[in-house]
Amino acid sequence: MRLEIRDVHKSFGEKKVLTGISFAADSGKAFGLLGRNGAGKTTTIRILMDVFPADTGEVALDGQAIDYHKTGIGYLPEERGLYPKKKIIDQLVYFAELKGMKYADAVKAIDYWLERLGMTEHRGKRLDTLSKGNQQKIQLVTALAHNPQIVILDEPFSGLDPVNAMLLKDVVREEIAKGKIVLFSSHQMNYIEEFCDSIAILNNGHVVLSGDLHDIKRNYTRDKLILRSENAGQIQAELGASCTRNGEDELLIRLASPADKKQTMQMLTQKYDIDEIRVFEPSLNDIFVEYAGDQE
Amino acid sequence: MNQLGTIFKFELKGYMKNKVFVGVTIFLVALVAVVMFFPRVSGGFVGGEEESSEGAGMDEQGTGQAEDREGYPVMLVAASGEGTLSSDSMETLRQAFSQAFMDYDVRIAEKDAEDVKEEILSEDAECAFVFDSLTSYTYYVGNLSMNDQNSYRASEVLEGMFRMNAMVEKGVSPEEAQEILQTPITYETESLGKDQIQNFFYTYIMIFALYMVILLYGQMVATNVATEKSSRAMELLITSAKPASMMFGKVFASCFAGFIQLVAVFGSALLFYQINAPYWGGNEIISSIFAIPTELLIYMLVFFVLGFLIYAFLYGAVGSTASKLEDINTSVMPITLLFIVGFFVVIFSMTNGSVDNLLMKICSFVPFTSPMAMFTRIAMSTVPFYEIVISIVILIASVFGIGALSARIYRVGVLLYGKPPKIGAVLKSVWKA
Repeated sequence: MRLEIRDVHKSFGEKKVLTGISFAADSGKAFGLLGRNGAGKTTTIRILMDVFPADTGEVALDGQAIDYHKTGIGYLPEERGLYPKKKIIDQLVYFAELKGMKYADAVKAIDYWLERLGMTEHRGKRLDTLSKGNQQKIQLVTALAHNPQIVILDEPFSGLDPVNAMLLKDVVREEIAKGKIVLFSSHQMNYIEEFCDSIAILNNGHVVLSGDLHDIKRNYTRDKLILRSENAGQIQAELGASCTRNGEDELLIRLASPADKKQTMQMLTQKYDIDEIRVFEPSLNDIFVEYAGDQE
Repeated sequence: MNQLGTIFKFELKGYMKNKVFVGVTIFLVALVAVVMFFPRVSGGFVGGEEESSEGAGMDEQGTGQAEDREGYPVMLVAASGEGTLSSDSMETLRQAFSQAFMDYDVRIAEKDAEDVKEEILSEDAECAFVFDSLTSYTYYVGNLSMNDQNSYRASEVLEGMFRMNAMVEKGVSPEEAQEILQTPITYETESLGKDQIQNFFYTYIMIFALYMVILLYGQMVATNVATEKSSRAMELLITSAKPASMMFGKVFASCFAGFIQLVAVFGSALLFYQINAPYWGGNEIISSIFAIPTELLIYMLVFFVLGFLIYAFLYGAVGSTASKLEDINTSVMPITLLFIVGFFVVIFSMTNGSVDNLLMKICSFVPFTSPMAMFTRIAMSTVPFYEIVISIVILIASVFGIGALSARIYRVGVLLYGKPPKIGAVLKSVWKA
């Protein structure tokens, strides 16, 4: 399966929120939808889920306009919340039924997920008796119980303790392994880097960067070196302005051109006692800051 | 459709498990039970009419003679000046008034007119008649109550006395004169249309039930929507179900819950009445309430359901525009006012007995007031059948129109957070959406 968003535009009144969003996500892989607050992520997700239509553009699944009656979508919204005063099992069944499940199937699936997330003991309790992290796990059930083909997780890790985060990671990996399209939206770049094969970075309502994360990193101009040495001070003095401190004993060396890489590395390793020298590969965080920062 | 059913079921279950809903229903049923069982416990109204007119007060005071009515409010009769009326005439007047006013202790004032006022102000006497002649008097009373009929009755007594005297002077014997003056007239009234007096009470109860239920449930629908929004359950709901299904599911569920509550209350009233019917001794008001014609009951059902729906949709739409529960009260104000204005038009027209006035005719076709206005007219007057049909058709069309509109407002409204938007702004974005 391949989910495609094609040139989607959306305005609310005078305000243009999306100005030509396009990206594609494949099944069996996770896709990261990134962007600063107000970049248009939630609007994109809502259009994807048919909460409101796009002004122009379309959402396609395997090349065809998506049929929402046949395509199951699971959604964990960033703004969490269910019915605080209602019994957990009741509301989970309700949401599963709204997604088209039969009562008996819904109960079976929900019991499986409660067990999987270690929440079975809370089955008959009211939601507001649970801690925030546990409420979030309950909400995760609403996104997964109806076995959707597309899973959209908006900031899934926020508010989870490390143990629960680990549990969620396992669950997400399982879902990816089942051949689902998993769409991530998050500000926690380390999780995106860990899971996502492809990303799209949104800024001011359009995609500023998208594609395979590995390719994006490879294609990043390889004109910087990271060097770690006890002689960092001396080296910095020799290289002058092209060299900046990147931490204690660590230097970031800007090359005039990527072609100088080999020569510079040889020169430095011969001359100084060096613990480590490598080409600087940007983290997703660096890329994000570069592309999603204010640019006019 | 399937979603609509799921939402309806879930919302209805919510009502049935709601402690306030269950509590109010039980309370109302208990209240009805207390009222309906009251005559059985207290000894009943059977034969109570006669007893009460003679017996009240007297048993407590222990004085039962007709002439000595100590303990009753004092009514004074006085001449306006010395020599105006003879003491014989005064005594005749006192006796005549004593007979006419059974519930007063009628006395001849010992002093003149000025002192009479003093006695009323100091509450030694309740009222006084001061006579200039046998055909002219001034009526003094402390606080003139709305339904004070004393001067009317006094005039009748004086008229009777005057005619009697006149006839006796013309040579008619007192017995003959008495016979002429007191010829009994027998009559019967047969209403060919509606009997307003009989229909008044159940119409009133129905209108009032509609008023209570719409305000109560309208508020509940609005709160329900706003709660989903403020708890952010909406974020998930809106991606799981169509806004129209959500709106209709919620409103139908609340309508059904309201209906169940009414059936519980009125059903138990009917049941308890039947158990206790003998003790009510054919009390006219009560028996008229339970004698609603089936036809009218069906109209009541139709107007109740349609009227409920139209307002519940409006309340739901307004609820969706509020992001906090505190905003609800101000947001629903215009709808509540609209409804209350309609209610008062109907109630005033009912109490005036002029249910077919122009305003009522207009109101019985306007969808927001027609459930109350048209029902009242059907119940208390004779309305051409085609008018009823037109009114119901307009109402049904409006229910669907308002339902569709409120579903659209809902779709726009639920995703708006922050300050409640202006009505104009909402309609504008609904138009564009």
